[in-house]
Amino acid sequence: MNSSNASRWTGLIYVLPALIFVCAFVLYPFGQLIATSLTSRSLLGGGAFVGLANYEKAFNDSAFWTALGFTARYTLFITPILMGLGLLLAFLVLPNRKIRKVVRGVVFLPVVIGLGTSSFLWYWLFDEQVGLFNKTLVDLGVIAHPIVWFNTANMALWAVIISVTWKVVGFGMILFVAAMQSISSEVVEASLIDGTSYLQRATRIFLPLILRTILLVTLISAIGSMLAFEQLYIMTAGGPRGQTLTTVYLIYQNSFINFKLGYGAALSVILTAIILCGTALQLVLTNRRAHQ
Amino acid sequence: MTFAKRSSAFALALTTSTFLSFSTSFAADLSMWVRASGAGAAQHLVDLWNTGHADKKIAVTVIPDNQMVTKLATGSQAGDVPDLVSFDLIYMPDFMKAGFLTDLTADLKGDPNYAGVAEAYKNIATYDGKIYGAGFTPDVSILVWNKDLFKKAGLDPEKGPTTLAEIHADATKIRALGGDTYGYYFSGACPGCNIFVTSPMMVAAGAKILPAKAGDTPLDGDGVKAVLTEMQAMWKEGLIPASAQADNGASFVSAFMSGNIGIEGSGGFMISLLKEKAPNLNFGVTILPGIKDGQQSAFVGGDVVAIPKGSKQAAVAKEFIHWELTDEVQLEGLAKNNIIPSRPALADNKYFKDEPRVVTTAKALGVGYVPWVFHFNDMVNSDSSPWIQMLQTAIFDGDVDGAIKKARDSMSSIVAQ
Repeated sequence: MNSSNASRWTGLIYVLPALIFVCAFVLYPFGQLIATSLTSRSLLGGGAFVGLANYEKAFNDSAFWTALGFTARYTLFITPILMGLGLLLAFLVLPNRKIRKVVRGVVFLPVVIGLGTSSFLWYWLFDEQVGLFNKTLVDLGVIAHPIVWFNTANMALWAVIISVTWKVVGFGMILFVAAMQSISSEVVEASLIDGTSYLQRATRIFLPLILRTILLVTLISAIGSMLAFEQLYIMTAGGPRGQTLTTVYLIYQNSFINFKLGYGAALSVILTAIILCGTALQLVLTNRRAHQ
Repeated sequence: MTFAKRSSAFALALTTSTFLSFSTSFAADLSMWVRASGAGAAQHLVDLWNTGHADKKIAVTVIPDNQMVTKLATGSQAGDVPDLVSFDLIYMPDFMKAGFLTDLTADLKGDPNYAGVAEAYKNIATYDGKIYGAGFTPDVSILVWNKDLFKKAGLDPEKGPTTLAEIHADATKIRALGGDTYGYYFSGACPGCNIFVTSPMMVAAGAKILPAKAGDTPLDGDGVKAVLTEMQAMWKEGLIPASAQADNGASFVSAFMSGNIGIEGSGGFMISLLKEKAPNLNFGVTILPGIKDGQQSAFVGGDVVAIPKGSKQAAVAKEFIHWELTDEVQLEGLAKNNIIPSRPALADNKYFKDEPRVVTTAKALGVGYVPWVFHFNDMVNSDSSPWIQMLQTAIFDGDVDGAIKKARDSMSSIVAQ
C-alpha cells in the first residue's frame, strides 16, 4: 500500500512540469479569454461585465457568419486537396531510391519556409503585371491575358489554395511516407507472393494500414485551415469587400484593429468550441474505424 | 494597478503576436518607440539629439506599424512604457481618451515654437483643452504626375491637373498612348491609402468625411458623390489598370515608380523615394485638387511625439519635445533630409531652394486636414470598413448612391456605439 502511494507521488512529480506548463500557458490564458469574452473590454482599457451580450452579438453579426462560411468553404476545399495530393506524392516517392529521396526533399522544402514569406512570394507570383504565374499560363496558352487573381472572392480563394498547397503538401507527404515505411515488409512481401497488383496493394494494404495517420493528418490540416489567417491577411487583405475574411482574421480585426477585445474574445471562444466539436467528432470516428 | 489588471495584461501579452524590433546598440538614458514607417525620419532627429546630448542619449526601438497600438496599449496597462513614443497621429484621440499620455499643456502652451506647428497637428493632439503631443515627422498627401508621359500625350508637362475633371481628361489622353500605360492609379483595396489620397479631393470639394460624434452626418456634402462618380467613370473607361481593384497597398508606390502611370495620389515621402529608386523618372508634384479650380486639400499624416504616462524620464522627454520644435532641429534634422518641417513657416528654407516639389508638400501641410475622431479604424482602416466598401462598391460596381448610403448608415452606427 505504501509503495503504491509512493509510486503515485513519483508519477505526479514526473508529470508536474507538464501540468504546470499546461496550467500556466493553456488553461490560465483560456480562462482569461472566457472571462474577457463576458466583458466589453477595449484594447485601450476599460469595459464592464456584459454577460453573454458578446455571444448574442456574434450570432446576429452577419460579418461573423460570412467569415465562418468562408472559413468552412476554405477548409472543405483545401483539406481533400492536401490529403489527396499528399497521398499521391507519398506513393510516388515511397521507394528509397536516390532520385525519389531528392524529390521528397524538394517537395518538402516549402514546409520549412514561413507561411508569411510564402504568401508574399505567391502574392507577387500572381501579380497581373509582373507575376510569373500569369506569364507562364499565357505562354502555355491556358489564358489569353493575365488575370487579376484577387478581384473576385472565388479567384482569390483558389489563389490562396494554390499557394498553401505548394507550401504544406510536403508535410502530409512525409508523414504518409513514414507511415507506409513502418508497415512490416512481410505483409507487403506476402501480398506480392499472392500476386496482387500495385493498385490492389495500395488500396487493400497501404491505405487501411495507414488509416490512423491519414485521419491524424486530416485533423491537423482541418484545424490549421479553420485557423487560417496569415495567407489571407497578406494575399487578399480580406477583400474584395470583406468576402475573404476568415474567422481568425475577423477576431484579429475586432480585437486589435477595432480595439474590441471583449467581442474578439467571444468570437475566439466560439471558434474554439467549433474546432473542439469537430475534433471530438473526428476522434470518435477514428476510434470506431480502428476498432472495426 | 490591481492584480486583475496585471493578470489581464499578462494574459494579453501571452496571446499577442511577437513583434520585430531593433534597438540602437549603445547604452541609453531614454527609450523611444517609433513606428516603422516613420523610423527613418525619427532616426535623423534622434541622431542629432544624441550628438549634442551625450549624457542623455535616446535609444530607438522600431515597432511594426500594425503593432504599435497593441504594443502601447498593453505596455500602458502593464506599466511598461518607453520614455517617448512616436506614432501615427490618427490614434491620438483614442490614446488621449484612454489616458495613456502625459498632459503637456503647461509645457507647450508657452513654447513659441509650438505655436507655429501646423494646425492639423495641434488639433489632433488636443483633447478637452489639454495638449498631449506635438508634430514630429510629418507627411502629407499630394498628387504626382509623370512629366514624360504628359509630354508624349501632348499635355503640358509642367502643369499638373487642378481639378478632378482635369485629372480625368489628362488620364484619357495618357491612356490613349496604349499598351501598359494608364492614366490614373489608386490602390483600390487599401482603405488607409484612400483616406490619404482620395478623401482630400472630397474634402477640397467641401465634403466632411467622418463623424466626430453621434448625430454628425458622415460623408456629408456633394464632393463625395462627385469624386466617386468621376473615379467610377475613369475605371469604366479603362483609364485605371485592372490590378488596382485588388491592390491592398502593395503597389501604392511601385505602380507610379514603374513609369507607366500618368497621375497618382501619393505622399510627400515619394519625392525622396523616387529620387533615390527611380532617378530617371521625371515627375511633378501638386496639391490634391477638388472639383472646381482653386479647391485644394491634403491629408496630414506622419507621426506625433508624446510621452506615455509612466515614463521614467518625463523631464528629459519634455526637453526633447521642446528641442525638436526649434528652428535648428526642424531644418537640420528634417529639411536637410528632404522631410517637411512640422512648422509650415519653415517651408521656405535653404535646403528646399533646389527642390520646389518639397515646398509644394510643405504648402499642402498648411491646407491639409486630419479627422479628429474616435473609431477611425472601425470606420476607415479596417479591411472591411464602410469607407473601403463604399469606394469599391461605387467605383468598381458602379452603385455610387447605394454605396454612399450604406457607408453613411454603417459609420453612423459605429459612432453611436
